[in-house]
Amino acid sequence: MGLFDLTDMVVQRGLEGASLRQQVLANNLANANTAGFKRSDVDFESTLSSALGSGDAGQAVADVSFTPQTDNTTSMTSDGNNVNTDSEMSSLTQNAIQYETLAAVERERMGMIQSAMGGN
Amino acid sequence: MSSMFGALGISASGMAAERLRMDVTSDNLANADSTKGANGQPYQRQEVVLEAGGQSFSDVLGNAQAGVQATGIVNDPAPGRKVYDPSHPDADAQGYVTLPNVNTVTEMTDLITESRSYEANVQAMDTAKQLYLKTLEVLR
Repeated sequence: MGLFDLTDMVVQRGLEGASLRQQVLANNLANANTAGFKRSDVDFESTLSSALGSGDAGQAVADVSFTPQTDNTTSMTSDGNNVNTDSEMSSLTQNAIQYETLAAVERERMGMIQSAMGGN
Repeated sequence: MSSMFGALGISASGMAAERLRMDVTSDNLANADSTKGANGQPYQRQEVVLEAGGQSFSDVLGNAQAGVQATGIVNDPAPGRKVYDPSHPDADAQGYVTLPNVNTVTEMTDLITESRSYEANVQAMDTAKQLYLKTLEVLR
């Protein structure tokens, strides 16, 4: 086993996914008044959890890639835009908390490695 | 790893687009009674055309082309209101003055929408900033 185990890898990929989701949600908000724009979202949690459930979880987690999905089915306004600012804002907050949680876990684990190496 | 700075740029593009829309709406409001412009015609209401940056989000990710951009400012072709005022210097032979096709109430509600959208983008940028600072804490 290397310096970073599976948990570290999952946390890092989770941070990556949450960072991508932040961009996608920011893009939805920026285009809240663009005619015909359809919102996108990233479900990085299910992508990661299905990777964890596969045979070689380590390799599957390392190979995981997150793809934003566009929602073409709904329409909020007469100009074809389907961005609901309120739900985007709540997703943004939820995603930020998730990111901060993952960052806190990562910080703890880094601390463990540091103390194992005798640093302080 | 996708860059968190991308989120800052995306929100900045949204803020710039909303500010431009506010500028144009203010222009419409200021000229709600301008019966003669540079071309001798009554003022025509203007609108900003917004376009999403890039084709699909996954294509443009990492190229910092996502976000929104204003592709132009177009005139609203709706006809202006006609008011009977024979003493007005811009009145036609029948005594009618053509006022701009600006509806003050529409402009005011547009202004509220633009201001709220601007705030939403500011909030998204603030969140991105917080996340970036959290990442720095991991290294501490």
